[in-house]
Amino acid sequence: MILAITFSEDAIIGLVVAAIQFGTLLYLAALGETITEKAGVLNLGVEGMMAIGAVTGYIGGAASGSPWMGLLVGAICGAIISLVHALAAVGLGADQVVSGLALTILGLGLADFIGSDYTGDPRRAHFGEVDLPVLTDIPWVGETIFAATPVSYLAVALGVATWWVLSRTSLGLGIRAAGESASTADAAGHSVAAIRVGAIAAGGALAGMSGAYLTNTLLGTSWNEGVTAGRGWIAVALVIFGAWRPGRVALGAVLFGLTLALQTRLGFFDINVSGTLVSMTPYLMTVIVLVVISYRARNQPSPAPAGLGLAYRREER
Amino acid sequence: MKRLVLARRETPTRGGQPLAFLAGLVFALLLGAILLSIAGDPVIDVYKRMFERSLGSKDVISATLNRATPLALAGLAVSIAATMGLWNIGAEGQIMFGATAATFVGRVFPDLPGPILIVAMLLGAVVGGALWAAGPGLARAELGVSEIITTLMLNEVAIRLVVYLQQGPWKDPEGFSFPQIEARPDQAGLGNIWERVHLGVLIAFAVIVVFAWFSSRSVWGYELRIAGSSPKTAAYAGISMRRKVLGVMLLSGGVAGFAGGIELSGTATRLNENLSNGFGFAGIIVAALALMRPSGVALVAVAFGAVQVGGLSIQSIGVSSAVASILQALILFGAIGAGVLSNYRIQMVDRKVVA
Repeated sequence: MILAITFSEDAIIGLVVAAIQFGTLLYLAALGETITEKAGVLNLGVEGMMAIGAVTGYIGGAASGSPWMGLLVGAICGAIISLVHALAAVGLGADQVVSGLALTILGLGLADFIGSDYTGDPRRAHFGEVDLPVLTDIPWVGETIFAATPVSYLAVALGVATWWVLSRTSLGLGIRAAGESASTADAAGHSVAAIRVGAIAAGGALAGMSGAYLTNTLLGTSWNEGVTAGRGWIAVALVIFGAWRPGRVALGAVLFGLTLALQTRLGFFDINVSGTLVSMTPYLMTVIVLVVISYRARNQPSPAPAGLGLAYRREER
Repeated sequence: MKRLVLARRETPTRGGQPLAFLAGLVFALLLGAILLSIAGDPVIDVYKRMFERSLGSKDVISATLNRATPLALAGLAVSIAATMGLWNIGAEGQIMFGATAATFVGRVFPDLPGPILIVAMLLGAVVGGALWAAGPGLARAELGVSEIITTLMLNEVAIRLVVYLQQGPWKDPEGFSFPQIEARPDQAGLGNIWERVHLGVLIAFAVIVVFAWFSSRSVWGYELRIAGSSPKTAAYAGISMRRKVLGVMLLSGGVAGFAGGIELSGTATRLNENLSNGFGFAGIIVAALALMRPSGVALVAVAFGAVQVGGLSIQSIGVSSAVASILQALILFGAIGAGVLSNYRIQMVDRKVVA
């Protein structure tokens, strides 16, 4: 009996730790997509950018032995590949949906192509837990919330920074103006194109970082094809789930992270539900939230940026 | 101070899109060649093999046509939604659920004679695909919920549903420890009409022709185009947008589901999570390249089918089949660039003039 209780406590601690790790992964990518969408650009290329970050971050981490180097390489390569979407959707005015989906196909293809030489490579850089004085020693809380890797703290810091920039600075005002009404932003002297390209690149860097974190810490294996496994789409969903607000997106990330963590741990809790069914919940919850938002929007304005998905060309305004 | 701007041409260049597609193809092959040589792969050998193994003989041409079929139907599904300005990003999920529904029909009536069972399964597939698109269609029609995100999310749900059925309820008891769904009844397979080309290719082609004719000649198709290009005009004309939106989404989903049924009876023997191998996503690229025209969809689908079949063939010479995905995306980006250039010209103007 005592043994069973001890075991389930361990299981709960393991679940919370994993939920925070998966939440971090989802949050980085979703935060990036939030910035991009705030500037009025829908980028459905998250899955592809994450895959690029995963493979280049893996190689960077394995070659240097430093997971930080992996994170940096993943972020840079994610930003570079996102410029394809910037060029097509902002530069050439192509449809954002088509361009973003093509970026996903390109990113997944390129990642598999680059990674084909590394499948089964045993080298692997890894982020360990941060040993915080006092905090780590708090019972329960220290073992769960303060047992996170440095990337989780980085993600929180980036979330706060994003919130601050978006809501408290003139740059943030420019970004939001570009997303709400591009012609107004233009008239106010902001360069809509520059803002949007920058926002896309920021989104790419964060998605790439998320991918690098996936291969450098979350997965216990080397590079594999299809390593992102639809998690980029969850990041797209999270932006809506969190109503385009960095704080709410973070809460959603932990919640969705919990469902990802739960999938493989149901057996520890004697829950007789298929993990595959649990894995559907983030997507279904997002659909439900979208419907609820729209239902309410009959009386109050939708939280989505008004100009989301619309190309802007000055001579056609 | 001078700067470069894109200025729209008074009249778009004639025959622009086929040329843009060819330009995209050349662009993709060039960039692909650079990529292959960086990776140290033999560029000429790779391309030569891709061509020979997709278009070089009757046998491989039939593989290409089989592969093009779900791509063309998915592309048609996307273009049907696009006539009303809607994005069906969920063809992938609708294909999977269509095939799931067809499998269900096959499980319930395993002893029906072949032709009847095939028709029943294909009908099941159409209904399944339409059902999978019904939620997003209703949400869009009644509440204005973006169909882009809802259809996209349901893709992931459909794939996981198939995995679930495979692990539990529909697991083949004779599959030992390897989880797989029981094979569909043997008599539900579509026969070959030429070399390895199965009957489904002909059926799909007929569907595309009928739809192209119907949409350009019928009142329904005319109303759709009005509703898509100018909702206000449609409202004046008494066209109900809500019913049109729902109807178009159901039809689009039904066509995608049909692709799942054809795939199950044509090239696959059982339902699994890879049955729609990205056909739904590639279908969006196909439809975009065809400018949402059914006839163009069929042609682009054959080209993409060739790239995909060719891509699979280079694995045996040690080159990743991911080259096919890369080429398909690059064709699109190249064609976007070329398309813009054919409608615009680059002009050098004084900064003052623009500002």
